[in-house]
Amino acid sequence: MVSWILFFYGSVIPVIIVLALIGIKGFVEITRYESGTTFFYKLNPITKVVLGIVVMAVASVTTWWIGAILTAAMLLVYLTLNDGFRKFMYAFYLFLSTFLGGTWSIAPYTPYSVLQLAGFKQFNVIWVWPSYFTAFGYEPYLTVQQLIYGAQVAFRITAVVVTSLLLVLTTTASDIFRMFTKLKVPIAITFAITVAFTTVPKVFDLIDTSVKMQFLRGFGYGKTAILRPFYLLVAAILAIPPTIIYLARNARNLAISVDTRGFRAYNSRTSLVELTYSKYDYIMWGIIVMLIVLAILANIFGFGRTIPYTGL
Amino acid sequence: MSFNGIKGAVNVPGEIPWEIVLLYFILALAFVFYIGKKQGGLKKFTTLDLVYIAVGAALGVAWEFYIGSYLGRLLPSSPFIGIGFWGRILIILIFVALVRKVGAGMLSLLIFNVLSDLLHYGFGGEPMFTIYETLTYGLFIDLLIALTGGHIFGIGLKPNTASADVPEEVLVKNLRRRQNILAIVEGIVLGILFALPDPIFYLGFFRPFLYGAIVNWQTVIFDIEAFIPGDVIITIIAGFLALRVARAVGQ
Repeated sequence: MVSWILFFYGSVIPVIIVLALIGIKGFVEITRYESGTTFFYKLNPITKVVLGIVVMAVASVTTWWIGAILTAAMLLVYLTLNDGFRKFMYAFYLFLSTFLGGTWSIAPYTPYSVLQLAGFKQFNVIWVWPSYFTAFGYEPYLTVQQLIYGAQVAFRITAVVVTSLLLVLTTTASDIFRMFTKLKVPIAITFAITVAFTTVPKVFDLIDTSVKMQFLRGFGYGKTAILRPFYLLVAAILAIPPTIIYLARNARNLAISVDTRGFRAYNSRTSLVELTYSKYDYIMWGIIVMLIVLAILANIFGFGRTIPYTGL
Repeated sequence: MSFNGIKGAVNVPGEIPWEIVLLYFILALAFVFYIGKKQGGLKKFTTLDLVYIAVGAALGVAWEFYIGSYLGRLLPSSPFIGIGFWGRILIILIFVALVRKVGAGMLSLLIFNVLSDLLHYGFGGEPMFTIYETLTYGLFIDLLIALTGGHIFGIGLKPNTASADVPEEVLVKNLRRRQNILAIVEGIVLGILFALPDPIFYLGFFRPFLYGAIVNWQTVIFDIEAFIPGDVIITIIAGFLALRVARAVGQ
């Protein structure tokens, strides 16, 4: 019984967090640019991409609590954004869900050989799974070390996810376009990336509309509140085919409107706004260099990663 | 120290020799340039094609990282099940089937990878993953497009009008049946192809190369066998859905 509660704790709670607390509207909010004037909005997108790479690298070569601090610091940055508290809460729920789900999708499956490679010498068993749980690929026992290992991997993921969304939230599609143009990416590919970039929040918006329509027509009417997240999930899956068809049909309108503006008449485009590096970028580059130094110091003082290089 | 999370280990026990992997990717790249030269490179894609590809990639990202990743948690972790990957392949195949030009598969996977880096991965381990996915899954889709002469899953085929005495409805019905059979046959071929790269290239080379992981060939063989049924079913479904979407969009 407890085993099943633990099992569902790791698999269902993240889903409930996503469905009940973030909701589909939350995904729209957290993948869409909104204008703002604070520090992060003023950075060159290239700086933000480099920050993402460095955060990923630092979180993956250091011990779990450095990843945790990085995640927390990046989450706090959300507070400085436009309408920051709301974005912070959404990002926090996403972190919570990713963290719980991430830890739980790794910890029970990690065999002792991997933990030994990770440098754990003693194992504290906290729970014995029923034997049929091995059918899910579970190890026979749950140990504290498995949880630490899972958390280590999960913090590596959360730090990167939180930083990446920061880039998405504070960068206009035009700036993304300029960034790839500056990196000499062919214009056709740059265009496709930019369109894809702006389509992601649209996907959630369309799914949200379709889900609401289904509920308006009485889907899941009169059922208990506990079941509501699952009705939302089913409705969201049913919403995918109409979303695909709607987007495919509207693709033509976008293509026509872009073509009427003379897109791809020439191999390059001239831009009114040039991407420049401001003093804010130099501050950020300073922080990035500090992060790298921190990672090197952490490794020297024995706070290197506890994931063995056997991969995920 | 490693470069961008890439360890660069080339002599882990059991690892596929890097020369073979390099040869595969050089051949694949040569094919890409040959096809590009022959068909006019990126210019042959109309703006509409690019929008289709972009929308497919965006839907793929929305599925793999936000919807599918939570659904996958509800199911036991097993090599037989890959909710995220299935959804991505399904969506991308539908949109590639709307474009039906050689290169559409690779371009879709390329855009998907760049977008997933922007939104989720933060360019970790790049450019290895983009090269790998583009030149395996993307290339397989494109090979099928090339082999079918741009009529993947039989989309875009015209009813056979040579025999004038057969009524129109019968011709259309025959065509529908032919398209369904083609969708099943091509789905099986693609499904089997899709099962190969992840175990062979990822477990056999990229994982040891990037992280120094040890290669267990039993796992590789088992994973290939475990991936095939799911992948085949999903690619067949993708074929049927692509036929329906193509009709709904008016092709």
